[in-house]
Amino acid sequence: MSVDRGNVKILVFACRWCGLIGADGAGRKRIELPASYRVIPVDCAGYVEPDAVIRAFASGATGVAVLGCHVGGCRFNDANHPALKRLELLKTLLDTTGIGGNRLLLGFGTAHESHQYADMILEFHRAMESMPSMASWLPQGQ
Amino acid sequence: MLEQVKQKAREILEQKQAEGVLGLKKGLWDVIHPHVFSTPSEIDALVLEPKWLLAKMARALLREQPQNWRLAVVVRGCDERALVELVKRNQIDRERLLTVGYACEANQAKTCLCSRPYPQKLDAGSAVEGVDPFADERVKAYLEGDAGERIERWAAQLKRCIKCYGCRNSCPICVCVPCKLEDDVWVERGVIPAEMVSFHHIRAFHLSDTCVACGACQEACPVGIPLMTLQLSMRAALKKDYNYEAGLDANRKSPVLFDFVKEPRPGQDVPDWVNSMGEKK
Repeated sequence: MSVDRGNVKILVFACRWCGLIGADGAGRKRIELPASYRVIPVDCAGYVEPDAVIRAFASGATGVAVLGCHVGGCRFNDANHPALKRLELLKTLLDTTGIGGNRLLLGFGTAHESHQYADMILEFHRAMESMPSMASWLPQGQ
Repeated sequence: MLEQVKQKAREILEQKQAEGVLGLKKGLWDVIHPHVFSTPSEIDALVLEPKWLLAKMARALLREQPQNWRLAVVVRGCDERALVELVKRNQIDRERLLTVGYACEANQAKTCLCSRPYPQKLDAGSAVEGVDPFADERVKAYLEGDAGERIERWAAQLKRCIKCYGCRNSCPICVCVPCKLEDDVWVERGVIPAEMVSFHHIRAFHLSDTCVACGACQEACPVGIPLMTLQLSMRAALKKDYNYEAGLDANRKSPVLFDFVKEPRPGQDVPDWVNSMGEKK
């Protein structure tokens, strides 16, 4: 089952130890999920450069989600702490220019939390539906 | 103030504390340009105005000179902070660097919206009170309003960009080679105006924890985009969350490089590992 995609495009960077397994679990359990998101597996949330998030917006994503392990429960001890710090700083920048820090979702969960994962993505999808399109800020043809 | 700076610079050269003093010189036809003074008698031509950040130049000089060549730089507050940031990034060897610091005057601080218009090592002049940039009308105009208004306002500004890379080149801390702004993966090349989202956000974010609020980007911009305003809220966030300000302490690296244990943030707790039996380690 899936929720209609509409014009929303969500890019999810999911850490392969927690976020990605959560996404897998949600799929296996046939939980209702929006069709608007695509997942890029990464080795760790700390691996996601803020530049990559900016590039995703520049390529036409309505929202970007970065999913990692719990703060304090990272596979690589503390690698997701700097990721959280950096991306929260990026949210500040997005807020400044008016793109909106709420277009960037930071989620920290564990592998077995597939229900929470589905809820989070669905809620994010709903929030993104009401956001204005970025099309006019992007170059033609995107 | 000028005399004090000259005196200090002469002392440095006479006592052989450094092989050169980098400062501004009033040269032929009264043209002012950066110059490395190497003899005490040359110092007479030293001037302090206009504001000209020399940190990047000092880095380039120190890199091409031999290891035992030391340099003294005549600096303002922003210039000194930029040098500290370069030292942190191993771009400058701090053993080879001396500074002659002088404080900016009140009207200069007002023009730059500088919250710290004086160096920490003050050799000449007296420090004047800083200006709160968030209280200024020019800044307020860009940070006010809801997201929709702000994006319109910023888009109107950023669409005027002619992609001259002046903001990057004039920035005293932007020294990466290769630069992401020249890479097709991150920013489409040959597109004018520069893409609002990728080009400007990547540039601004790279300087998020490094920006010393010197305003060189803004002054260099030929179309007058208020680029420093982009940095201010990130600087304020770092100050509020981690009490960190770029360019003050050469021994404290940016808090976003470390975990919450080493660089804690009020309100952020780090739970221990939790296992399935509910026991805490």
